[in-house]
Amino acid sequence: MRPLTEVKIGSLVLKNPVMTASGTFGYGEEYSPYVDLNRLGAVVVKGISLEPRKGNPPPRIMETPGGMLNAIGLQNVGARAFVTEKLPWLRQFDTKVIVNIFGETLGEYGEVAAALTGVPGIHALEVNISCPNVQKGGHVFGCDPGVSGEVTRAVRSATDLPVIVKLSPNVSDIAEIARSCESAGADALSLINTLLGMSIDVERRVPHLRNITGGLSGPAVRPVAVRMVWNTVNAVSIPVIGIGGIMEAGDALEFLIAGAKAVQVGTANFVNPRVTMEIVDGIEEYLLRHGFGDVNEVIGSLKTG
Amino acid sequence: MVTREDLTAEILSNAEVAPCHYLLALAVSPVYRDARPGQFVMLRPGGLGIPFLGRPLGIYSLSGHARGARIEILYRAAGRGTKVISTRCEGDRLEVLGPLGNRFTCFPGMDTAVLVAGGIGIAPLVFLAERLTTGPAKDRVRVVAYIGARDAATLLGVDRVRAFGAEVRISTDDGSAGHRGPVTELFRNEMGSFDTARTGVFACGPYPMLRRMGEIVADRPMPCQVLMEERMACGMGACLGCTIEVRGPGGPEYRQVCTDGPVFDLRDILWR
Repeated sequence: MRPLTEVKIGSLVLKNPVMTASGTFGYGEEYSPYVDLNRLGAVVVKGISLEPRKGNPPPRIMETPGGMLNAIGLQNVGARAFVTEKLPWLRQFDTKVIVNIFGETLGEYGEVAAALTGVPGIHALEVNISCPNVQKGGHVFGCDPGVSGEVTRAVRSATDLPVIVKLSPNVSDIAEIARSCESAGADALSLINTLLGMSIDVERRVPHLRNITGGLSGPAVRPVAVRMVWNTVNAVSIPVIGIGGIMEAGDALEFLIAGAKAVQVGTANFVNPRVTMEIVDGIEEYLLRHGFGDVNEVIGSLKTG
Repeated sequence: MVTREDLTAEILSNAEVAPCHYLLALAVSPVYRDARPGQFVMLRPGGLGIPFLGRPLGIYSLSGHARGARIEILYRAAGRGTKVISTRCEGDRLEVLGPLGNRFTCFPGMDTAVLVAGGIGIAPLVFLAERLTTGPAKDRVRVVAYIGARDAATLLGVDRVRAFGAEVRISTDDGSAGHRGPVTELFRNEMGSFDTARTGVFACGPYPMLRRMGEIVADRPMPCQVLMEERMACGMGACLGCTIEVRGPGGPEYRQVCTDGPVFDLRDILWR
């Protein structure tokens, strides 16, 4: 018999715990030749702001050992165009659509949340308080427990959709920020966003990225992510979604065993566009192989003896 | 839906054809049968270290094969990724994603194609030369290829382009073959002989060379397409990493080389 793979993130029910990570899967359509979106637990789309954004000047990416640095700068079509041009296509699939949102001010976070609420086909919001690559908003909100809570509250009061707050790893105490978001009304937390990094072209003595610094992602960051997810799971009682360098099912299972209710697959999509489906299959195989009838038996099953 | 099999290529050969330059032949799935000049593939030797991401490489030739199609990639082992690819042998497998990107296009009434290649920029232009000379008679045009390289040893693609019936003009930086000096200057010296209303220019090479092409054709109404190259993660418009700046109606705009390109109108490019 096939094992059960449904997981619940608050009121949000996913057919399996595998989602795409924001900024690595476009608006879904880019991957449609490679991935049957019906097979995914959820699609988290590229971060959306109230108004369109051009993003950062190039060069924007650089390969690093076991990963990459990026400083895209939250290029996106804006909330209006997302709803009219991108969302209708996504509605045809039997998956959950989670919209990642961000603003430059507290007010803007509330406004973009409100603009996406009551729109058919949007099932949850993921609040980006952790982008390291823009001057305003993003990271600065995510580094301070008080401000993280305020952003959460601003979104919470603007929407009745499930609110997932995406946390930055570039903080000294992730548990404190997690608790602040929880008490401000977050339904779930997702982590980690990218780690701040930098790389230099030594021949020319210039940074590889025009933005100088960027966000590090890929398998190189996974142990950091697993540790932070473990810390966060132990600090809060709301569901935690694990993100960071997942390349295959075994990597996703690390997060689930550490206590994450679900996972997001990011940079791996760039390397293997079919990877999300392969991870869905791989988790099922694991459950069968270990005699688990339900993925929820695995979640938080870490033995620390 | 693209299958796992479509994302795998088998190496038929991978030979050093000039110092640091390799010709790679791959057996790929039937999805490549419709590949067009200008398009590229993302090639990845596998593994999670360096190289981690695929490398965007232009298609040099396309032909039939029992597996579906055979493509050739002519590349320079310049960085860590291409160096690893150059160590792979016949029978090895590579991860491949493609064909990707837009293509070179001809305009109605075009009867002459001028190709201007700098260094390894010759690779996608050889595929174009083949299509412009070996297609249905009504689609064939006169092809004049300006091929520039550092020296005679790294001058590539010349025999192939000649075999397609193209007229070839050669330049090298050191004068060891053909004209001595930049290929752009060789083209500039002769450009007056082309009918601007019927000639399309197609260029590929290092950015300083393409930029110089822009200056050379600035006051002549010849359409000029260039193939751009940027670092890429996904190759399909998701990562938004391979951005270049182009002239837009309301000012500078960003474009993605992978999906808006890699072929652009030279006059639209804003060089950084």
